[in-house]
Amino acid sequence: MEILALILRNLRSHSVRSLLTLLGILVATAAMVLFMSFGEGLSRALGTELGHLGPSIEVLPQGSSPLGPSYPELSPAVLKQIQTLAPRLGIQHVIPTVLLTRGGFNFNTAFFFEGLPSGVNPATVYPGVEAAQGHLHLHGQAVIGALVAQRNALQLGSLLRLSPQIHLNVVGVLKNSGTLADNLVFVPNRVLQNLMGTNNFSAILISPQPSESSQAIAQALSQAIPGIQAQTTGDLLKFVNKALAISNLFRFGISLVALIVGGLLVANTVMMSVYERIREFGLMRAIGARRSFIFRLVLLESLILGALGGALGLLVGTLGSLGVDWYTQARVGLPLSAVTPRLALFALAIALLLGLIAGFWPARTASRLSVVQALERL
Amino acid sequence: MNPVLEARQLTRRYLQGESEIVALRNFSQRFEVGQVTAIVGPSGSGKTTLLNLLAGFDLPSEGEVLLKTQERTVSLSRLSEEERADLRLHTMGFVFQQWNLLPTLSAWENVAFPMMLAGVSYRERRARAQALLEAVGLPHRAHHLPSRLSGGEQQRVALARALALDPLFLFADEPTGNLDSASGSQVMDLLLRQAERERGVILVTHDLQLARMAHRLLYLRDGQLTGEEESKRLNPR
Repeated sequence: MEILALILRNLRSHSVRSLLTLLGILVATAAMVLFMSFGEGLSRALGTELGHLGPSIEVLPQGSSPLGPSYPELSPAVLKQIQTLAPRLGIQHVIPTVLLTRGGFNFNTAFFFEGLPSGVNPATVYPGVEAAQGHLHLHGQAVIGALVAQRNALQLGSLLRLSPQIHLNVVGVLKNSGTLADNLVFVPNRVLQNLMGTNNFSAILISPQPSESSQAIAQALSQAIPGIQAQTTGDLLKFVNKALAISNLFRFGISLVALIVGGLLVANTVMMSVYERIREFGLMRAIGARRSFIFRLVLLESLILGALGGALGLLVGTLGSLGVDWYTQARVGLPLSAVTPRLALFALAIALLLGLIAGFWPARTASRLSVVQALERL
Repeated sequence: MNPVLEARQLTRRYLQGESEIVALRNFSQRFEVGQVTAIVGPSGSGKTTLLNLLAGFDLPSEGEVLLKTQERTVSLSRLSEEERADLRLHTMGFVFQQWNLLPTLSAWENVAFPMMLAGVSYRERRARAQALLEAVGLPHRAHHLPSRLSGGEQQRVALARALALDPLFLFADEPTGNLDSASGSQVMDLLLRQAERERGVILVTHDLQLARMAHRLLYLRDGQLTGEEESKRLNPR
């Protein structure tokens, strides 16, 4: 009990200094938690998103990025080949699609068009979506996601001008589903192809029969048809996670600066406190305290600062992450930040490690003092 | 055999810049339990150096300090830092002139501190600390921080702490140096009482009047023992 009392009372007797140090660790940990929570959130959001996707295989032109299909390059001949192979490979649906972005990548101003072949409605690609107004069937017109409608004040019967010649009516508005579909404008493939002057498709989405393996079909397709790559949602998730790992490292690097500053703060506080208490340590040693006792005492003080600052930092970081979530949820319909248990544990471990490293040198210094010098008994 | 703390041919030299200073030279003496020994001399005579060596705070350049008990004889120079700390904890108690108490601990916690180091249970050290504070006349000050105690009270708390693990030898370095005469003689009485309990008391002071209350006086000058005297006022055992 006296050890904890000694540590806590010492921290309390220099309350302003202790508080500032605590604040330093708090800010460092909170910054790290907030930075890292983006990666965790993005990875989680994409995982959920891909889980909501009906077709589990995406066919793209060879060499294109799995995340952003560019200009339509898949010819009707490729579609024909896939359709021919479909019965033999156990494919249920083959859905060619044309993708088009208008207005850059700002979610607030851009329009993301997803083309669908006639007879296919958005619920085939995004199972579970329902119409809030109108219906899901395109019938040559447009069905829009809930957030698209909200952001652009569109409703049933609104007119979408794709070009001076091409106008579409909104015939359906989707219910908010918390998926990518909220941000999309579904139109017939033909309309987008006319707009771009091509007969090609951006991607071909494929749903296997329930009994078939996506992986096997994707492999068979890639081998059978030259110039294409077939990917499963699992592949896509792996790709995304790989890309995120690099950005995680980068964000950790940035937060490392904050962590190092926090660590130096703790080291400074503990070192100052050691110098101020040299006589106390001398007295303890004279009375019969071992060096290891003094070492533990000082290290524990630093660890307590680290643990307390880390826990509070985690709390503040989590609140920050919730704020970011609230913002991105309102703007793009996706919670992009998440403090997962593994991130929380990682942050606490880092804060404790900080305390340990920062306290080691002062603890060593304090434990090696000679009684005679510490008590000024020369 | 009664426990004895024995100094044999102790010499302590320091280097100060280029020159060498001999703080203590060829000091030999036996300190027995049941006896108060006062070491007197002007400042710079080597009193503190001698106490540092006897307590194992410091090691001699030559000679050795032996602690002889019924069970064993140990030479302090042959022990590691940690072993010397353990030896001090269990066989020695200390009262200094200043820096005596841990400022963030209350009076009873200060008294209980050595017991905590020795692994005594919380309940027991709580009870023993209270009993010791009663013995030095401060039961009502148990929960006060040192900053709330007078100089005399602080010294009495320090004495209670020095007695916490009932050590064989009690070292007191100018224990009444900062006190008025009433508080001083109160502390001195408590010290003398320890000798009656078969404990050895080694008192370092430059106050000759105080020293004359001891059973034996050792005079130090320039690091050397210059005289020895049995006190007439008290009857040695």
